[in-house]
Order: sequence, then C-alpha cells, then structure tokens
Amino acid sequence: MRAFGNKPLVAGLAGAVLLFLYAPLLVMAFFSFNASQFTGLPFKGFTLSWYEKVLENETLMRSIGASVYVGIGTVILSMLIGLPAAIALDRYDFPGKAAFRRVVMLPIVLPGVITGVALLSFYITIGFRLSLNTIMLGQGTALTCIYVTEVFARLQQLGRSQEEAAYNLGASQIETFFKVTLPNLKSAIFGTMLIVFSISFDEIAVTYLLTGRENTLPMALWSILRREATPEINAVATLVIAFSIVLIVIGVVASRGKDLVAASKS
Amino acid sequence: MAAYIDLIGIRKSYGASPVAAVDGVDLSIQKGEFVTLLGSSGCGKTTTLRCIAGFEMPDTGTIRFSGEDITYSQPSERDMRMVFQDFALFPNMTISENVAFGLRLKKMRGRYSEAQIRARVEEYLSLVQLADHGKKMPHQLSGGQKQRTALARALITDPAVVLFDEPLASLDANLRKAMQVEIKRLHRQFNKTFIYVTHDQEEAMAMSDRIVVMNKGRIVQSGSPEEVYSQPNSKFVANFIDRANILTGIVETVDGSTAKIRLASGATLSAPTNDATISGKTVGVMIRVDRVSLGEDGSDQRNILRGIVAERLFLGAKNEYVIELADGAGRISVHERTAGAQASIGDVVPLCVLPDDIRVLAA
Ligand SMILES: Nc1ncnc2c1ncn2[C@@H]1O[C@H](COP(=O)(O)OP(=O)(O)OP(=O)(O)O)[C@@H](O)[C@H]1O
Ligand SMILES: [Mg+2]
Repeated sequence: MRAFGNKPLVAGLAGAVLLFLYAPLLVMAFFSFNASQFTGLPFKGFTLSWYEKVLENETLMRSIGASVYVGIGTVILSMLIGLPAAIALDRYDFPGKAAFRRVVMLPIVLPGVITGVALLSFYITIGFRLSLNTIMLGQGTALTCIYVTEVFARLQQLGRSQEEAAYNLGASQIETFFKVTLPNLKSAIFGTMLIVFSISFDEIAVTYLLTGRENTLPMALWSILRREATPEINAVATLVIAFSIVLIVIGVVASRGKDLVAASKS
Repeated sequence: MAAYIDLIGIRKSYGASPVAAVDGVDLSIQKGEFVTLLGSSGCGKTTTLRCIAGFEMPDTGTIRFSGEDITYSQPSERDMRMVFQDFALFPNMTISENVAFGLRLKKMRGRYSEAQIRARVEEYLSLVQLADHGKKMPHQLSGGQKQRTALARALITDPAVVLFDEPLASLDANLRKAMQVEIKRLHRQFNKTFIYVTHDQEEAMAMSDRIVVMNKGRIVQSGSPEEVYSQPNSKFVANFIDRANILTGIVETVDGSTAKIRLASGATLSAPTNDATISGKTVGVMIRVDRVSLGEDGSDQRNILRGIVAERLFLGAKNEYVIELADGAGRISVHERTAGAQASIGDVVPLCVLPDDIRVLAA
C-alpha cells in the first residue's frame, strides 16, 4: 500500500512538528550542562555542577520525594475507586446508573481550583489537618474519572462474549474476572496509571490549596523561579523529563511487549 | 413423557420492545439428537439458544433439562457448552491454555492431575487437527483453526449438550463444507446432544437429524430434513428450505385423498391431501424444481401443464428452464439434465409432474 504520495514533504512536516514540540525541551536540557550562572548563550563549557547542586539541594530533593509519594498514592487511590466504578458501569444495571456516570465524570470538566476549594472547605469542616495525604486524597478523587473513562472504554470494546464463554465453561464470577477480564484490562490499567501519575506529578491548583507544610516538586520549582531562574531549574526539569521518558518506555513495553514477542516468533 | 431438554412456552423480549424476540416457543429435544434451529436473520434463533445456555432469562416459560427446571440457573451450572460465532477465544492464553480452561477451573479441582490435563489437551487438539498449534496464540490462527479451537475447548469438558451459534458463518464456502463434515463426525463419535443455529438451509439439511424452522420468534415447522423439504407445512417453509415453485389454485373437489386443483391457466392438477375441508378454497401448490420435467411421457398418471419457455440458464450438469404458464398462472422453474430433454426460448412445452410430488399448502 502506498500511504503517502510525497515522502520528502511528509518527512519535512513531521520534522517541523517534532521540532516545534521538542526544541524548547532540548534547549533547556542543553543549558542544564552550561557552565554559566545564567540560562542563555554563550555556552561557557560543559559541566555537571548544576546536577550536583540539585542533589545537594535538600528542599528540592524533599519535594521530589513528596511528589513521588503523592503520585503513587494518587495512582493507587484512584484505581481503587475507578476500577470497580468502571466495571459496575459497564457490566451491571442499577438504579441511578446514568446519573452515577455523569457524576463520576464531572471532575474532568471542573477547574482544578474549584475542586481544590471544595475539598479544602470539606477538610476544614471535618477537621482534617492538611498534609501530603490530603493532596493525595484530593488528586485521587479528582483523577478517578480517568480510570473510569479508560477502563470503561476498554470494557465496551471488549464486549461480553469472552466472559460468557468463561461462565459457559463453568467458571465462577471471580475466576472469570481474574482469568479473563483482568488480563484484558491490564494494558488499559497500566496506561492509566502512567497518565494519572504524570498528571499528579505536575498538578498545582489542587495541590496549592490542599498542601500543608510540605511542598511537591512543581510548587518548589515555582517558588524558586519567583526568586531567580538558575540553570539548576534546567537540571531538575531535565531529570524529570528523563524520568518521564523511562516511564513511557516501560509503559509501552509492558503493554505491547507480549504482542511484540509473539509477532517476532511467527 | 418429558424429553431430555424441554422448552415450554418460552417468551423473551428485549428491553421495552413490544415485539418479542422469542414468542412462545415449545420444543422438545431428545438425548443424542442433532437439532438445528433454522430461520432468517432476526427470527430469534440466537435468543432461544442463549435462553438454553442461560445467558438470557425468558420472560415467561420453563426450560427443563434432564427433568430439572433450569430456567433461572446460572450458565456455569448447566452441563452445556457453547461454540460462539465469534469464537470468543481468550486472547491472552495460548491455544492449549484456551482448550484447558474448563479443566483448570475450581469446580474441576481434583478431577484431573496436571499430567492428565496435559494429555487430555493433546488428545483433543489432535481430535480437531490442531496438534502442532498448541503453543500459538489465538491471533496467529486462521478462522477455521480458531473455530476448531473453540470446538475442542467445548468438547474437552465432556458436556452433555453442545450449543452452536452460527459457528461457520465467518468461514469461506470450502472451509464451511469441511467443518460441517467435521462437526457431524464429532456428533457421531461423541453421541452428545447438539443444538445448532444457522440461517443456511443447506447446512441445516446436511447436518441435522431434525430441523426446527423459525419465523418471527415462533416455530413454524419441526421435522427431519426430508420432511421439511418434501412436506413443508407452509409457503414460508417451502420457500425458505429451498427455492420452490409455488402456484395458486382453487380446489374444485376433494375425492378421498386426492384434490383436484384448478390453476388460473385453466389446467387442473391432482394432488394428495388428507384435508377434505379445503374443498372450494384457494390454496398454494408447491412443486420442487427437481420434481417436474419437460415433455409428456404418455402415462395419464401425471399432471400436465403447458407454458412458454421464458428463460434458459446453463448450470453445468443441468439446465434450468423458466416456463411461463398461460393466463398469468405463474412461472415454473424446471431443472433438466443437460443430456435430457431440450427446449429453446419461445417454445411451447408440456411439463409433467407426479401427483405425489405436488404439495398442497394452505394459502
Ligand atoms: N441484546 C439485544 N437487545 C435488544 N434487542 C435484541 C437483542 N438481541 C436481539 N435482539 C432482537 O431480538 C430479535 C431476535 O434476535 P436474535 O439475535 O435472536 O435473532 P437471530 O435469529 O439469531 O438472527 P441472526 O441470524 O441475525 O443472528 C431481533 O429482532 C433483534 O433485533
Ligand atoms: Mg443470531
């Protein structure tokens, strides 16, 4: 099949898009190795000192730890709510199902600030002390809808015939779920975990309102940036990007890996 | 006497739909029988089968199986296995794992050792000629191989009943023929009860002990392939089972077991009947294309019709002639062996048909 007529043109366009998307990131990464006090030209020589500075900067390191902690907690919390909700929406009929579905999806369209304010007044009312855990709770509930949409879509696409086949062969509901349904949801669940983690990682609005004494990475960067923009920021950002790329590669390999292995054998 | 499987007054409609998908089906199936539900798309075959399997609950009616009421029991508690039209293989498991699925379940625990399971999977894979494919994934198989995997997966658990929902619909013609033979062979070999759903009358005729013809959620006729072919009880069945010539006529007299029927062309036909009340009524007259021939052969046993050859189609071993009867009495298609009688378009020809080959149908 000849997909595209004009190869140089297509390649040129694709290149332009990639450049548009990634040039700023490359520039930033480039300056993180610049042996100069300021972000910008001229390039005064290669150095890793900004990275050393980052590692020595206790506030930054603690904020990275906090972000990872909140991210992982958010991923787990939203999965624990979102996964059963998606299954209930797709596989079971219950009174008020349509309303439930809309309500679950609502946080997608609500601005983060609104969610944050609502949660804040809620926590104050019931006397919660603000901490990383309240951020986690806030993000976890707000991001549940991503699990619901992703897993629900996969379930719809999957249909019921595999599950019916399992019941028909004598499997119980639990066996069917673990042997047939869940394996088919694995890549959707894993992909959503990555999405939720990365959203949580750079979330500011909800975090800003719900945080206690500790700061997450975006908040820490923000407060540093308000004082001065050192190449140290470039170094942290480059680290975060490298980390994200690793996560994405893991995600792709984990969800496609089996197919790739199978395809290479046949 | 209760049969092996009894459907009694099954009705099922979906959602708020006022039209029932299955509208009062009564059906008894004997042990070891190969029964086919035959009917056009949307007539309720799948719904009936899904009620038997337990995936749908009928709105009213009862399903008995081995004397037990199973109408509302779980699918997993019924000793029946289904072969789905879309195969429904588990894509995350190898072919062997798919086939072994039913044996590895909790309810089978202790029944087979791991070594026995492996041996049994081998056995059933070779039964469906997939011995070398056990390690492959479902997406690496062809349609026919997937279908055979589904068959092995169903049979390996040794069910009492196997249900088939148009299992061959997605296969090409040659493969379909081969799989028909294979399924028939498995039925003979295992002597289990097979309930088969198809909309392909040839498939139904070739495979079944009994054909149950359905229309609009109801059973219209149930009988052996020979019966529904040669003694259809309605125009619908006559047309559905095979292309048939159906003319309309008025019954002039009924004399014992013979009716004299006058067609619009003025010709009269004698036909067997056991219903004296049709005298004076308008009826359908069915003549199969292979039971009528060109020319008259002298014996006055036969019914003779006359008409003009309107079309002639070469079909290989035979020719099909379409004869236009006089006075708009209708058209009759005739199959003649290529070596037999000949005629050309425009010829006026006689046709003869034995009274016993005519079937009177309520109009
Ligand atoms: N899940 C469903 N929801 C609503 N209506 C349905 C559903 N399944 C079937 N129907 C309707 O019920 C009727 C019977 O459907 P069924 O699937 O039993 O037909 P079928 O004889 O198997 O047809 P086909 O040969 O096309 O498979 C159809 O009119 C169909 O539209
Ligand atoms: Mg169907």
